[in-house]
Amino acid sequence: MTSLSNPWNRLTLAGKVIVPLVIALIGVTIALAAVWLSGFGPWLIQWLLDTLGANIGIVRFLIATTVILLITVPIAFLNIFFEMKIIAFVNLRVGPNRTGPWGTLASVVHGLKVLAKEDFTPTGADVPVFTLAPAVIFLAAVMTLLVVPFAPGLFAFDMEIGLIYFFAVGGLSVIGLMMAGWASFNKYSLLGGLRAAAGMISYELPLILSVVGIVLLTGSLNLTTIVEDQSGSFLDWNIFRQPLGAMIFFIAATAEGSRTPFDLTEADSEIVAGFATEYSGMRFGFLFFAEYVNVFILSAMTTVLFLGGWNAPLDIDPLLNFFGIATPVTVVLDPGSLGFGLLGVIAIVPPVITLILAVAIRMLIPTWGFLRSLVVAFVLLNMLVVGLLLGWLAINLDWVLGLLWFLIKAIGLSAFFVLLRATLPRVRVDELMGFAWKWLTPAALINIFVTAAALIVVKSMEGGL
Amino acid sequence: MATDSALKRRLEERLGDRLAGPVRARHDTTEIVIGPGAVTDVMRTLREDPAFRFEILADLAGVDTGSVLQVVYHLWSPLSSDWLRVIADGLTREDPRLPSVTFLWKGAEWAEREAYDMFGIVFEGNRDLRRIYMPPDYKGFPLRKDFLLPDDSARSPGMGIRYMEQPVPTAESGRRPVLRSSPGTGSLAAGSGRTEIGAGGTRAIGSGEAGS
Amino acid sequence: MTEARTRIPSLDDPEIIVDTPATIYDAIPPYPPTTEREAEFYSLKDGEMLINLGPQHPSTHGVLRVVMKIDGEKVVDLDPVLGYLHRGVEKICENGDWHHAISNCDPLEYIASMFSEAMPVMVAEKLLDLEVPRRAEYIRVLAWELNRISSHALFIGWLALDLGAVTPILYGFIERDEIVEMLAALTGQKLLFNYLRIGGVNGDLNHEFLSRLGTWMSHAAQRIEDQQTLINENEIFIRRTRGLGVIDREMALKMCLSGPPLRATGIPYDVRRAHPYSVYPELEFDIPTRTEGDSWARYWLHLEEIKQSLRIIDQVLHRMPDGPVMTKLPRLLRVPPGRAWVAFESPRGQYGAYGISDGTDQPFRLRIHDPSYFNLQTVGLMMPGHLIADTMAIMSSLDPIMGGIDK
Repeated sequence: MTSLSNPWNRLTLAGKVIVPLVIALIGVTIALAAVWLSGFGPWLIQWLLDTLGANIGIVRFLIATTVILLITVPIAFLNIFFEMKIIAFVNLRVGPNRTGPWGTLASVVHGLKVLAKEDFTPTGADVPVFTLAPAVIFLAAVMTLLVVPFAPGLFAFDMEIGLIYFFAVGGLSVIGLMMAGWASFNKYSLLGGLRAAAGMISYELPLILSVVGIVLLTGSLNLTTIVEDQSGSFLDWNIFRQPLGAMIFFIAATAEGSRTPFDLTEADSEIVAGFATEYSGMRFGFLFFAEYVNVFILSAMTTVLFLGGWNAPLDIDPLLNFFGIATPVTVVLDPGSLGFGLLGVIAIVPPVITLILAVAIRMLIPTWGFLRSLVVAFVLLNMLVVGLLLGWLAINLDWVLGLLWFLIKAIGLSAFFVLLRATLPRVRVDELMGFAWKWLTPAALINIFVTAAALIVVKSMEGGL
Repeated sequence: MATDSALKRRLEERLGDRLAGPVRARHDTTEIVIGPGAVTDVMRTLREDPAFRFEILADLAGVDTGSVLQVVYHLWSPLSSDWLRVIADGLTREDPRLPSVTFLWKGAEWAEREAYDMFGIVFEGNRDLRRIYMPPDYKGFPLRKDFLLPDDSARSPGMGIRYMEQPVPTAESGRRPVLRSSPGTGSLAAGSGRTEIGAGGTRAIGSGEAGS
Repeated sequence: MTEARTRIPSLDDPEIIVDTPATIYDAIPPYPPTTEREAEFYSLKDGEMLINLGPQHPSTHGVLRVVMKIDGEKVVDLDPVLGYLHRGVEKICENGDWHHAISNCDPLEYIASMFSEAMPVMVAEKLLDLEVPRRAEYIRVLAWELNRISSHALFIGWLALDLGAVTPILYGFIERDEIVEMLAALTGQKLLFNYLRIGGVNGDLNHEFLSRLGTWMSHAAQRIEDQQTLINENEIFIRRTRGLGVIDREMALKMCLSGPPLRATGIPYDVRRAHPYSVYPELEFDIPTRTEGDSWARYWLHLEEIKQSLRIIDQVLHRMPDGPVMTKLPRLLRVPPGRAWVAFESPRGQYGAYGISDGTDQPFRLRIHDPSYFNLQTVGLMMPGHLIADTMAIMSSLDPIMGGIDK
């Protein structure tokens, strides 16, 4: 029997992980401070910067992925909140209104609830695959965010083959769904996984074919180039140049993100919860996290490809100049140049500041428990960071406007996905497949043909003239 | 008062010798009594004869009168304003047996299963005559009059010894008591030696099985 | 203690269920088949597998368990397993007196319990040859039709929910909410009303009920129509209900169907007209029918029946006579010996009750005929050949209520 007088035994499993980590972080901070004070600091940092500077690719990769991973959290929370509020609006309900102002923190509380639940592995499950599947699904979703250009110069990687990377990595999630379906040792999960595989592979085809028209028009697979190609007024957006392609892309994206009316993989009235049936706790949380991030990514890609990305619907530069506001400047963010410092800031400073804030809050308001002050401190810190970030971005007007337009479009599309979910029933699995193969794929092929023909005609006319 | 006096005459005319008693009528229901052997014949006549056309089987019920078992059919016809009640009377308690009507009304299958489950009446010709409400290994027939409700409502007499009353499996047996909620409650009622009345008579429960 | 026990095989027994992990997940029962049909069902051909739908499943409307034999996503055969909610209401009724039977029958059809509680009441009245006061009869019809609307409104929402639409069920609950509130003003209960009494009803109409009813009636028809536009012409909804779960006229009669599933095949069998009871002969209403016999026809019939019920309520309110609502009866009600059968139309079909009295204050036998029980039986005929996704649409278009099915 373990004795409860030993504090270590009283910790939960999560506590046994988190407490040593926090202690280690504090230790590292103290050690760094000691090094700094001892006078070796400049030398050590110089050495570190030299080392990292020699491996700038790795540093860049680490920073980019960390930032992307961090921004998925507010994205997912926002989407969950949207989902709850918009469906409540359509249902003539009030929706969440207790936690935080207008219930905005309800999704955060949902996340905490999922964290606190038991992580259950069913008997007979293929444990390694079962454990790995949520991570695969989640990472496949998050990794596609790496190539999305949010604003001029604001992206993690500017790949020449960004579009191909997006489809290739996005397609990986099928593997995760199949893993989850197979490893759960549950027939409903298996059916869900197989439906996911069949559906996603079917819809991958029209999804990719629908953007070939854009590639033909733009002549590039680089997403930044595609967005820049749509600059000007909203009539230059691809949705007006490729209306059929936009429709096909949007429908296929709905199926690809398994949203209603194509949410057959987790059809709750048919196969319980599909591949997620046997998942609980944070693994389930990851599955749904991935789904909501996926919704945002698909909206973001639709924005980038068809709605002009960061471009404003009308060119407002003359207007800004008229009011004497400076011409926007473009600053390219190279996280690598910030080096180790930024990595350190991201990894060490937030927890430390959170702890300090929590202690301060606890001192100021003694009636609050430690957990409560910790949560409030975390929220405060996030607001602080976001405020600083916005303030810094405000200096670069181009970014702010671009990001604003991008977010308006992408979040509006996410809301539209939710609106669809609140309105439509679910299609049947055979109709889903039939629709993809009989209608969408041929339509996408026709779209390519028409686009190519029009291009040839235009080119020859230009040449002829 | 019966509302359709002509029905009585027609019934006596067509079914004359197969009726085991007089045709009675009360309220809006006309009632005939037949023997269990005549069920197939009578029901087919009632359904298919153009003079009757009792095409809706409104109900099929088992009844225990205390001495014998009955099966009661209620029929509806567009030609008559009366319900028709057909009572197949005189089924013995030991071996209640009569032909099924599933060849006329396939939907009677579950009703017959229910009568089998509750009364033990065997319907010959029903392709799926097994218990429908009670567990498949249940012993008694709950709606029979000799099936008394025990004072302990949590215990039903047909079930035999419940698992919770059995001794806790020992560690040497190598079995994990997976479905068991808590090992401590296992011997709650074991060894009390109480008696209960089931369909098969009086049986001691838990006698000689004082476990753990 | 260590001697070999004589083990009575039981589903409670972990030694049967737990020994090999595979059998936990197999739907195959742990005993040899007892009938031909069972043997046929539980033997699998190549490529087939059994899947347990329920008893805990989001869309089985209670605790129904359906073992499905599937080939890929296609349902080959299925075997509904009942009894998870069985509490022996018929036996309990035999052990209480006639008044107890009312509250025992109440939770049978918990969505429309004004109907199921009428069974012992009407049987006892028939056995007693009791003339119920006319005002009481009109109040009963009013309560029944209100309850029918609330049940139908919920049915439409359920059907849509099982097809994956989340919104219509909440629209259905709007109507149900208002009706339940007004019935609560009348009866004091929101779900299990326990309002009908042998010889009348428990309490006259009151002001709150009538004012709520008046407010609701002024906009009910229009609002129900408005709300249904969300699914009425939805292409996905129509494609997923039309031509599915088809049953033809002959088979519907053979399967002892009743209610909307029967009327959807073109047979205008409604007990209110086929064998009138209460004051229904005095009221004017139609029996809507369709001839397709599919899920869509059943859905359409529910909508039409809501309109007919509104018509009936309108007439009842205009014709409501004055007078007492309860007959004087002795406190200890000894029902004269005899047999009686009553049937009446519930939202799900023909409810029937066959009561036998031996002259005491307790029913000697009270047979309860539940329409859902017989309607549910047809899933075995309708389902084979369809996909798993359609089983839900078909099953909920039959509108089974497990409280009544499992008794």
